[in-house]
Amino acid sequence: MTSTTLSLRGVSRRFKDTVALDALDLDVSQGELVALLGPSGCGKTTALRIIAGLDNPDAGEVLVGGKSVTHLAPNKRNMGMVFQSYSLFPNLTAAENVAFGLTMRGEAKTVRIGRAQELLEMVGLPKHAKRFPHQLSGGQQQRVALARALAFEPDVLLLDEPLSALDAQVRANLRDEIRALQLKTGTTTIFVTHDQEEAMAMSDRVAVMNAGKIAQIARPDELYHNPASEFVAGFVGQMNKIPATLEADRVRVLDSHVDYRQSWTEQPGAMVALVRPEAIEIQNTAADQSNATVVARAFLGPMSKVSLVLRDGTEVSAVLTSAQSAEFASGSLVRVSVKPDQYLVVAA
Amino acid sequence: MKIFTRRQLPLTIGLFLATLFVLFPLVSATEFSLRQPATSNYGFANYIWFFTAEDFGKYLGISLGLAVVSAIILLVILVPTVIWLNLGGARFRGLVEFVSLLPLVIPVVALAIGAQTALPDFAQTDEIILGFMFAVLAMPYAYRTLDTGLRAIPLQTIVEAARGLGANWLHTIFRVVIPVVRSTVASALFMTLALSLGEYTLTSLLHWDTFTTWVTTMSQSNILGAIALSMFSLIAVFGLLLIISIFIRPTKSNVVAEEN
Amino acid sequence: MTNQEVSSLNRKGASKWGTLTGRSARVAVALLPLLVFMGIFFFAPLTAVIWDSFQSNDGLFTLQNYADVFKEPIATAMRTSLGLALASAVVSAIPGAVLAFLIESRGSDRLRQLISSVAGVLANTGGVPLAFMFVAALGAAGSATGLFKLLGLDIYTAGFSLYTFWGLVLVYSYFQIPLMVIVFSPAIHGLRREWNEAAKTLGATGSQFWRHIGVPLLFPSFTSAFLLLFASAFSAYATARAMTNGTIALLPLMIGNLLDGNVIFDEVNLAKALAVAMVVVTLLAMVPYLIIQRRAERWQR
Repeated sequence: MTSTTLSLRGVSRRFKDTVALDALDLDVSQGELVALLGPSGCGKTTALRIIAGLDNPDAGEVLVGGKSVTHLAPNKRNMGMVFQSYSLFPNLTAAENVAFGLTMRGEAKTVRIGRAQELLEMVGLPKHAKRFPHQLSGGQQQRVALARALAFEPDVLLLDEPLSALDAQVRANLRDEIRALQLKTGTTTIFVTHDQEEAMAMSDRVAVMNAGKIAQIARPDELYHNPASEFVAGFVGQMNKIPATLEADRVRVLDSHVDYRQSWTEQPGAMVALVRPEAIEIQNTAADQSNATVVARAFLGPMSKVSLVLRDGTEVSAVLTSAQSAEFASGSLVRVSVKPDQYLVVAA
Repeated sequence: MKIFTRRQLPLTIGLFLATLFVLFPLVSATEFSLRQPATSNYGFANYIWFFTAEDFGKYLGISLGLAVVSAIILLVILVPTVIWLNLGGARFRGLVEFVSLLPLVIPVVALAIGAQTALPDFAQTDEIILGFMFAVLAMPYAYRTLDTGLRAIPLQTIVEAARGLGANWLHTIFRVVIPVVRSTVASALFMTLALSLGEYTLTSLLHWDTFTTWVTTMSQSNILGAIALSMFSLIAVFGLLLIISIFIRPTKSNVVAEEN
Repeated sequence: MTNQEVSSLNRKGASKWGTLTGRSARVAVALLPLLVFMGIFFFAPLTAVIWDSFQSNDGLFTLQNYADVFKEPIATAMRTSLGLALASAVVSAIPGAVLAFLIESRGSDRLRQLISSVAGVLANTGGVPLAFMFVAALGAAGSATGLFKLLGLDIYTAGFSLYTFWGLVLVYSYFQIPLMVIVFSPAIHGLRREWNEAAKTLGATGSQFWRHIGVPLLFPSFTSAFLLLFASAFSAYATARAMTNGTIALLPLMIGNLLDGNVIFDEVNLAKALAVAMVVVTLLAMVPYLIIQRRAERWQR
């Protein structure tokens, strides 16, 4: 099997006056699943389409296994692609859809039928071979689309928000199935999504994109705990913004202190600490010791979210186990603090 | 220029040829109509001729009257029916569609004969019968337009909201639903009007006289004048139908209706 | 009643007057206007025509009217009408389909909207105005004829005439081609971009896409549009009458003549048999058209 690494070098693309991609560099190892995560307009879909060959970059190169495919037509790139919805050919059965890539490659009929059945079993639809797309549910259609993209053993698998059009429950199930299938086949994969939970749950690495550039690319846990910028911190997971004040050489965030670092802000002006909800601690105290009021509690299963308001009006969310959060009644006065070293200070 | 790129060129050429084909007869006839008889000048003599012709106003009035009658009949029958169809009557959709689309399937000529035979005598003696027949002819188009338009709005939701707030049915239909689908209703209305104004076959076979048959009769006496008259009626109907396009909001996802 | 109660009652189809009887009553009231109206002004005439076509002059049941349909001059009229319908459908379907394809695949949204309105208007032209337009352009003294003469070509001596079968086909195309564009455009519009792109990523060339996906998807719509054009040309009356004035034997014109009192075979109800014959032909074209349209719409959403 050919080595299936994927690289983008300095890929740029602009549409009229907007810069969609700005000298993008990306290296994906063989068998890796990298998610392109970002808000609409960040360029993730453009990047994917350029990799597929459905769009051409203004500058830069796309390399598969070290060889440039930048000027290769999409039908020669040997990449499987799954679109957001409605991409199955309505006049072909599920099996014919799955076998389409093989049909295009001139494979014998027996090979095509066998392989199509094999893949339909892999995606959990063994008895649906003769059904037409309009007879399948949304989730089933996407499974067939996935089978179709993998049938001819592509070098790279591209997924363009394949779960966005599906119901929440179907989405959650399919997410795990896609990841399992990808690991089983060992296909190098790019997964575009705007849902950070999806990206974090499925990927080997996540590339957070903004305005045509990659803001940070790292493993999910690293992205979560060591975000490189406020944008990344805000995009991945929940984030509280608590005012921080400068006292002599130290910065105070609620009850904890930390040494001021020049790198945080240009001048020691107004600052804000970015704190994860799980890094907030709550204690019941007497009224004169309290610095916050509990507003509401939201039961989320094993964990619960407690919404609070600080004296200065700042809204804070904390996440505790449901057992712990039961101690704090709505309207009660409490003392809120931050677990040491679990926050990032930036300019306000 | 964008229209001459390799991709756009076939479209540009196609549209150019089509426009030529469409405009040439139109321009030729208009040129004819502007010719002054027995001279080589141009002028509006032919137009003035029919405009001041004795029966011009009379027959125009008849056609307009019949058109309005047919439009009213259709709207009164179809609007409540289609609303009901999209609210709770979905089971009967097949039946309603079948009945509404039938006039498409039957040639007008056959209908004309049938009308002559089957309709009671009083219907045979009053021209207003044409209003009813025009409504039959326009039914498929009006039904399609109204149904498409009403399907595109959250009908059930707004009706339930209005009723839940205390409105009675009349109030709900006229003050809540119709304003929402104003463009659809207007479109169906104008389509019916246009069809009625241009109808010739049924009128002539049943031996009535409307504007269209009058034009045909006049064409036997003064050919240039008749051409002018035809051009006038053509452009008038053109104008009416083009007004429809003002009422239809252009949407990207809009699938082009298969009948106008 | 609270809002909720009213709402849930409406959902169940109930009314203040009770559930089951209330619902049936409401169904009847809702459908009555349409059914009564069509009953009187459509079904009654249609039934009358069919019934009468089986009546002889004396009021007895007979098939003679239908037997006469196969005799001359009616048989010729029938053949000519069918031929005209076929010719017009072929001549107009292909340019119409090509134009529809170019507009849908390469035109801007504004262009498509404009074409839709213009085509709607043009598809409605016919009768005397249309006849005049073509006579003015391509008649013996027409502008185009004159232009050709300037270029040294006398089309009339070369054998062309507007007042023949093919002249009529040409005139019909003025409203048939726009009709084709209107009816066929949705099918092309329904060809999703994703299918083309998916096919490409799966290794298909342009022609492979058309062969396996595009043409199979468009073919039914093309066929049904063709049938519509056929039925349209077959039933056309006003334009035929304006253009030919008796020189070409066509079924609709023959019926018109019979209604005017020109008797051929001494049967009063001959015209009705002819009308029924026309209905049968049109049904044979339009029913498949409607069925195919309904099926094709499924994937066009």
